[in-house]
Amino acid sequence: MVIIEAKGLTKEFKIFRRREGVVGAFRDLFTRQYQVLKAVDNIDFVVRQGELVGYIGANGAGKSTTIKMMTGILVPTSGHLQVNGFCPHRNREKYTRGIGVVFGQRSQLWWDLAVIESFRLLQRIYRVSEVDFQQRLHRFEDILDIGDYLHLPVRKLSLGQRMRCELAAALLHNPTLLFLDEPTIGLDVLAKANIRDFLKEVNQTLETTIILTTHDLGDIEALCSRVAIIDQGKMLYDGSLDQLRAHWGEDNLEEVVKDIYQGQQPPGVKGWGE
Amino acid sequence: MGWVWERTKSIAWYTEIFFHYGSQYLKSKMTYRADFIINVFSDFFLQSMNLIFILVLFDHIPVLKGWSREEMMFIYGFFLIPFGFYSGFFNHLFDVPEKYVIQGELDRVLVRPMNSLFQVIVETMRLELVFGVFVGLAVMVYAAEKMNLTWSWWDIPLGMMLATGATFIYGGVYTLLASLGFWFEGRMGLMPLVYNISNYGRYPADIYKGVVRFILTWILPFAFTGFYPATVLMKREEYYYFGLLTPVVGLVFWAFSYFVWTQGIKRYRGTGS
Repeated sequence: MVIIEAKGLTKEFKIFRRREGVVGAFRDLFTRQYQVLKAVDNIDFVVRQGELVGYIGANGAGKSTTIKMMTGILVPTSGHLQVNGFCPHRNREKYTRGIGVVFGQRSQLWWDLAVIESFRLLQRIYRVSEVDFQQRLHRFEDILDIGDYLHLPVRKLSLGQRMRCELAAALLHNPTLLFLDEPTIGLDVLAKANIRDFLKEVNQTLETTIILTTHDLGDIEALCSRVAIIDQGKMLYDGSLDQLRAHWGEDNLEEVVKDIYQGQQPPGVKGWGE
Repeated sequence: MGWVWERTKSIAWYTEIFFHYGSQYLKSKMTYRADFIINVFSDFFLQSMNLIFILVLFDHIPVLKGWSREEMMFIYGFFLIPFGFYSGFFNHLFDVPEKYVIQGELDRVLVRPMNSLFQVIVETMRLELVFGVFVGLAVMVYAAEKMNLTWSWWDIPLGMMLATGATFIYGGVYTLLASLGFWFEGRMGLMPLVYNISNYGRYPADIYKGVVRFILTWILPFAFTGFYPATVLMKREEYYYFGLLTPVVGLVFWAFSYFVWTQGIKRYRGTGS
């Protein structure tokens, strides 16, 4: 079953170009120069239920913009986008009931409250029954090992502990689709491993479809059989990890990605990036 | 019928969520024990000082353009009701341009299945400031006693309707100001200006001349947050026409501001700000 279907998805931003110096700033007051930036440029993307897709790209390549369109935060400039049977930005309130979102750089837990209190609030917001809530909570306590600090305020948690709680929070309503924007950013090796195991488990047992952006290729290697690479708004590659390695004749993923970000073409492959 | 049922269910749900946020708010206030105790005392102290200040102040004000000090006190007391709700729920909407738009907290709001303005209000509310409402009620009752105002039972629903309308005006003005953050980056110089203007609403509007009075009635209708509705409860019939308009002005202003908010959200989702 197709969960995400994007065709010709495009997002343009109008950027205000400031002129230099005091005189420039003064002129900006009256006439403004704008520049159109294509953050996401004509992307086609299909994700089926149960897939775990890694979405990578250099800083400013358009990853976050794509995720924001798919989560209904941003409205696409043009193109077709259907997720979970919805057009995400229309019907936002209904659509978001069925998805989970974790932004690595932004907490969705309440800073001064115990973790469990945040969960309780989310339970009400997503209308989760008490039975389901207890069952899922126990499960997360087991595999994420968060039972010990459910009653601690969020501000007292380490980043690794907090991120595990963020994941649990995003999954309490059992979404069919989970978006993760840099979930392992700033974590130590052990915390990363813990989170990867958990995501794998969720993906396999609950059949949750997962879209994951990251700068840590270890995440991709550990989790994703499929990887999508975006550069300057364009989809450069979308396929299996093995094939990507084969294209480049190189086993070290880091080297491959470095070459790609530098704009190099794979040796002997025609039509790369088209 | 189906539509009405859906609406009712949705209102019940939002009410439940509101109270849940409220109890979480109290809990987070109570996490720092010493802080909480000090806060409770200082809030109580602040409101008592307010009350004493008002009583003393009005003792020194003579009759003003045909308004006795009891009448002015009554107006002031009524004004404190919408002002209390404003302080508790809408004052921190001034965080919106900086915190929600520029720093992008709105992203988090938009991925939750709830109305965006509702979320911002419950996230930024300061519930303890709502107690100012009781000071207002106390001042009103005191002033009413002093001028031997006769009350009847329908003054209570009428007063509630007027106070709700006045609160909606406050909510509307601050929602409107917050929404401007979607179009204009940076800190809002307008907020303190509007706050100052709002303070004029607590005095008899006929002491102001043409333009000021026009602004307070029709542009930023703060005269409807104190003076006009209070005159209705004081049975000053010459202002009934304006006073009874309070709920209408409140609803219209709120609807307009909410519309501007939704346009702002659209813009945010277009630009990502």
